[in-house]
Amino acid sequence: MNSLAVPAQAATGRVQLVDVRRRVLLLAQLRMLLVGAVFVAIAAAAMLRIAWIGVVEPAPSQRSMAAALLPPRGEITDRNGVPLARAFPAYALWFNPNAMDDGGPPLVQSAEAVAARLKAIFPDLDQHEVAQQLASGKAGYLRRRVLPEDANRVMALGELALELPRETDRHYPQGSMAAHVLGYVDEDGNGHVGMEAALNEQLMDPNRRAEPVALSIDARVQGALEDELNRGMRSVSAAGAAGIVLDVDTGEVMALASLPEFDPNKIDAEGQRNMFNRVTNQVYELGSTFKPLTVAAAIDAGTITDLSRRYPATPFQVSGFTIGDSHPLGASLNAPEILIHSSNIGTAHIVDGLGPARMKRVMADLGFNERPYIELPARGFPIWASGEWPRLRAMTVGYGHGIAVTPLHLASAYAAMVNGGIWRPATLHKVEPGQASRGRRVFKASTSARMNQLLRMISLYGTGRNANAPGFRVGGKTGSAEKPGSGGYNKTSLVSTFAAAFPMDDPRYVVIVMFDEPKGTAASSFQRTAAWNAAPTVGRLIPRIGPLLGVLPDETRDVDLSDVKPLVGEDE
Amino acid sequence: MSPEGRLRRIGWIAALAVCTAFYLMLHLKVHSVRSEVVRAERQIVALENQKLLLETEFETRSNQLQLAAWNRVDFGYTAPSAAQFLENERQLASFGSPRAPGAPAPIRVAGGAGEDMPGFPKLVSPLTGKPIDEALVGPEPQLSGQRVADRGSMRIPLSAVVKQ
Repeated sequence: MNSLAVPAQAATGRVQLVDVRRRVLLLAQLRMLLVGAVFVAIAAAAMLRIAWIGVVEPAPSQRSMAAALLPPRGEITDRNGVPLARAFPAYALWFNPNAMDDGGPPLVQSAEAVAARLKAIFPDLDQHEVAQQLASGKAGYLRRRVLPEDANRVMALGELALELPRETDRHYPQGSMAAHVLGYVDEDGNGHVGMEAALNEQLMDPNRRAEPVALSIDARVQGALEDELNRGMRSVSAAGAAGIVLDVDTGEVMALASLPEFDPNKIDAEGQRNMFNRVTNQVYELGSTFKPLTVAAAIDAGTITDLSRRYPATPFQVSGFTIGDSHPLGASLNAPEILIHSSNIGTAHIVDGLGPARMKRVMADLGFNERPYIELPARGFPIWASGEWPRLRAMTVGYGHGIAVTPLHLASAYAAMVNGGIWRPATLHKVEPGQASRGRRVFKASTSARMNQLLRMISLYGTGRNANAPGFRVGGKTGSAEKPGSGGYNKTSLVSTFAAAFPMDDPRYVVIVMFDEPKGTAASSFQRTAAWNAAPTVGRLIPRIGPLLGVLPDETRDVDLSDVKPLVGEDE
Repeated sequence: MSPEGRLRRIGWIAALAVCTAFYLMLHLKVHSVRSEVVRAERQIVALENQKLLLETEFETRSNQLQLAAWNRVDFGYTAPSAAQFLENERQLASFGSPRAPGAPAPIRVAGGAGEDMPGFPKLVSPLTGKPIDEALVGPEPQLSGQRVADRGSMRIPLSAVVKQ
């Protein structure tokens, strides 16, 4: 029985076993299926995603290139397209002590070691200072400007705390050249001082900033002007210098310099001090350079009809004030001699004939009663006597005292005097041919032609001989005015100016050079007056800039002086 | 449904499937080309930036102050004088002098003016060796109505990429 009972037990056990096996198998298959389904689902999701990306999602927008190439701030170029200011993609080196984010020290190596390795990349780095900054654990700039290849080398150091944020930087490739024209951009991205301020809106406008803004400046002429001014200023130990080259027919400023200059790439305290623009913002009594304007006004008004008429040249009293000359010039002088010898007395007599009212009107027509016309934000207001001018005021203005204007005023006035009589506002924008402003007529064309002869005579026979660059037919007038100080004029500090135009047979450019407080040095034969410092500077400058501006020297051409030459003595 | 009808229906479905497959392939191809264009654009941007960098570096190194300093210290060039300029042929001719009587006849160099001389050779391309088409040598026609910024940092016609 027992033997029977065992198989029966075994049989039920086997059935149970088969049952369990089948169940386990089923479970395993089910699990396999589940796992497989999950895999299939994942694969399907991935496939769907790939298909979605490939088929449905749009390709990256094509605007990316235009957006990437659009500079963050527009470029400024000179009239020939030479970049003067451009937005420059640069890196900065920033120390971020929290970059590691693990509570440990910010640097992998020691601060000294990192500073030494940075020094190997940037030789001008102050290693000790940087090591201190790194050790202090304070975030901050280590360097504001890093070139891309240097940035790569910094990355290779493997220090996460040294970050290289991309910053757009304003770069002035010409350095300090034309700094007063361009100005600078502060850390907030706003322009200051020069055209950066004047054009700020246009340079920031996304629709317009792709196109570079062309100024009227010619970089080569600007460079030559600054070079010669600097040389002249150093040779006579002047406190400052100013210069401008102006196109007489369009009013375009070809070069404008105020020294000492500043570097817009690096604004420091000294740069801040030098930002003052002597050409457009500082007003000076420009002295004898006004005499040709006075003579032109008298010729224009018809009070000088005969150039051979002689005026007394002995000192005389007006309203208790004695008008005299720096040295005696004989008993009488005619108008050309007055200009050649720069006689205050003679000029005062000419103004007397013209009358204060007409004198004042011509000066106002030349724009001496308002701020100069130029795009720069810094423009000085002239010292201009309002109301009716008494006789003495008109006389002193006639030789450039009792009125203070900027050198730019004088340049515009000279341009009007030599270009046929049309006064035009000066501009720093490039003027396309035929687009010059209409201007207003101040002198008759005949007056202008006569003045061209007289100006040429001054540089041939008079005080302007040092400016007479051979072949360039330079004409111009010196002016050495004493600076007003406390209690009258200061005898020893002068403002020496030379106002020139060339070529006088067809004037195209006006050049003004001014030195502030020149000293008598060996270079100027121990003289302070303009004939010895400003005039030679113009004489050196014009041969450099003339050919660049399309004026070729030619010894065979000149103004016809045959009708005025006999009026001045042969010995002149 | 007759067997022919079923066959036609299967045929239509197959055609549709094939067309869809082709469409998908084409679509993917278009997208890949577009991506290549974008990649090329990125490369252009990178190269333009590099060019900007190099150009700026060149301008900085050759700025007017630097040139003036080199001229003063190393070269000592001065501005040319009036005698170094010639304005026209007349001025050039004024330097010559007429032949004096009895002077020897000027030496005449043999030159090709005979009839058997071949015509003046055409401008030949150094690459292909064939004469260059006149139209290719001429100036490029201006794109009218397009904003072309060819100076400074922007040398690419922006209107080609910016949709107005």
